[in-house]
Amino acid sequence: MAVQMPVTVPSGDGTEMPPMLDLREKLPYHVENPTPENVVERFLDAFAAVLEYTDYKPLLDSYCRTTNKCNRCSVTCPVYRVTGDPRDIPCYKTTLLLETYKRYFTFGGMARSRFTQNGFELTSELIREMADVFYRCTACRRCTLECPMGMDHGLITRLGRYILSLVGISSKALQVSVREQLEGETHNTSKIPKPALLSNIEFLQDEFEEMFDVKLEVPLDREDRDYVFFCAVSDYLMEPDTLMGNMAVLYAAGDWDRWTIGTHNYDGINYGLFYSDWHLERIIRQLVSEVTRLKGRNILVGECGHASRSAHDFVPVFGGREAYPVVSFLEYTLDCVRKGKITLNPDIIEETVTYHDPCNIARGGWIVDQPREILKSFVRNYREMTPGGRLNYCCGGGGGLVSIDEIHEFRMEIGGKVKADQMMRTGADIVIAPCANCKKQLKELVEYYEIPTKVMGLHDLILKAIEIPGAKPAEERKEEAALFEM
Amino acid sequence: MQAWIDILMGPVFVLTFLIMVLGLGRHLVLQLDTLLRRKGDRLRYMPWKKMARETVSWMVPVRHLTTGNVLFSNSSFLFHIGAIVVPLFLADHIALWEKVTGWNLPVLGPVVADVLTVLTIFTLLVLLAYRSFFRKMRVISRPSDYSILLLVLAPFLTGFLAAHPSMNPLRWEAMFMLHLLSAELLFVLVPFTKMSHIVLIFFDRISEMHWQLKPGAGDRVANALYGKEAKV
Ligand code: SF4
Ligand code: SF4
Repeated sequence: MAVQMPVTVPSGDGTEMPPMLDLREKLPYHVENPTPENVVERFLDAFAAVLEYTDYKPLLDSYCRTTNKCNRCSVTCPVYRVTGDPRDIPCYKTTLLLETYKRYFTFGGMARSRFTQNGFELTSELIREMADVFYRCTACRRCTLECPMGMDHGLITRLGRYILSLVGISSKALQVSVREQLEGETHNTSKIPKPALLSNIEFLQDEFEEMFDVKLEVPLDREDRDYVFFCAVSDYLMEPDTLMGNMAVLYAAGDWDRWTIGTHNYDGINYGLFYSDWHLERIIRQLVSEVTRLKGRNILVGECGHASRSAHDFVPVFGGREAYPVVSFLEYTLDCVRKGKITLNPDIIEETVTYHDPCNIARGGWIVDQPREILKSFVRNYREMTPGGRLNYCCGGGGGLVSIDEIHEFRMEIGGKVKADQMMRTGADIVIAPCANCKKQLKELVEYYEIPTKVMGLHDLILKAIEIPGAKPAEERKEEAALFEM
Repeated sequence: MQAWIDILMGPVFVLTFLIMVLGLGRHLVLQLDTLLRRKGDRLRYMPWKKMARETVSWMVPVRHLTTGNVLFSNSSFLFHIGAIVVPLFLADHIALWEKVTGWNLPVLGPVVADVLTVLTIFTLLVLLAYRSFFRKMRVISRPSDYSILLLVLAPFLTGFLAAHPSMNPLRWEAMFMLHLLSAELLFVLVPFTKMSHIVLIFFDRISEMHWQLKPGAGDRVANALYGKEAKV
């Protein structure tokens, strides 16, 4: 009963496929080096090496057998819901890899291929198709929740991408960033050299002073602190308000001399989470070694879904003896709110506010209630976006897709369509998204679909409402900001 | 013919049943090996409770019945009830169980047994129709996804006909032999097909555990493939 995976969609009953953007055309921009020489052989070699040194094998064995083809997952996948293209059914994508595994790496598959003529054969077209489907999936893992077998397509997507990356097929955008982070001079994905970081921080300090009438000095390279801070490094360039919000909370809570930023390595981004075990581990090691250098005690991760998850989930795995506890800034802030260490003025935010759950922190159930509790403590008009929490829809830029500018159209028309509809339906003035990636994608969606809403981080909102004793009151800051906007 | 039936009910039954049990046992051992030995202390931070809760929620999938395709989800659920209860608790089966294993299980009343069997057959047909007539199902279905449905259908149908002479088109012995053969074929296939989810479902649900990647593996893979040339 060998299966021939259809490379193109069979039009068995003559129905036409719904119109969709043909990403295939764009593949050369999307991945680096889409069809290297001897790709089939090299893919199988890479797969073999992965199976030998990792422990994915029992997982694949189990998935190969249990995959039920019941199609429940398709209802949940935001990509499939928009395209209706069978290639986007989660189970279909996963099967490409599972069939390859079964055919070449299990006894039954190898034996069967000897006796049957028309069994599954890996071809360069199929590898190309994998490159395509695995980079169409945002690895949001929403489908996992609805699969009776619990098949984790996010895990398979990244395994597929990992093997592809070993034969040189990967997203250029991700690869370039990771290369800089691991082997470049700046050790961060945005290539921000230390002097630029310093002037950036100076800028933040000046802005902060202007806003609050408080002069601060961000603690750099201080040893023996409770928290070593890592954010998505792009925040230094694009999200000053989020960072100032972070600063405001730390300062107001009286923790200003408990934290520090290390200037050797200040990037929390870990694209390894999206496509490579190798890079994932090396980036984690780089991160913990910075904490060790500074004799820090905890890793404090700024507002970023995947940075938080990769640190939270993989520092214990790869950190060895340096496995420092990982604290998300949202958890930290909630703790401050609960203990009354900070005051958020409930009269400042008049707009309706909703919350977008970043998949990486919400899907596993880690951070769902914390930000809501913070928001409800000072926002009068809070409105849920449904479905939310663990069942949320991905922004459409997950799995690193948001960093790939070449697929902007895909992210707008397909990946983010469901989210755009959801934002429109919720009709809130402000969408809070505590994640660098989500923010970028949602802002692009808002612009693309002309949705009358503003996207910002949670700490951007906190920055507006926080009251710091002895500093300029929130009310006054609000008036100033209004004047400035006029 | 009786001699054949005796063989099928005796040694062949024991053999095929053993294949099923050992095959499933093998899956169990291999999975536990990963869990307990290979992943070892990496599993310290696993959200065990959450994973258990989730597994249970699919054992009693009440809240999943209204999502997905409702007809399909419900048929699938009802089918599983019949598929578990009938083979275990039917009066004639009980006698067989007792003979082979010495177990003494409670017996299903004849009416309940009939209703359950018909329900199982009916839901199987619904599943088959759903798989055959919907394009999105056909696209991802492999030949085995259809044939397994038919193979599971066979023992239920033959068993039902054998138990109801008025509906039975064949001689009783012939139908009964078909029943035995189809059931035994199923036993053999269980560990080798998707029916092995009987045990593996407990291990799929905990995919969180497989995110506990192996330290150092990335370096080793890169080294094995490219040696010192390995490029980030
Ligand atoms: S992980 Fe998300 S995008 Fe990928 S198949 Fe599942 S639901 Fe679809
Ligand atoms: S829900 Fe699970 S078993 Fe069903 S088709 Fe999707 S991945 Fe396959």
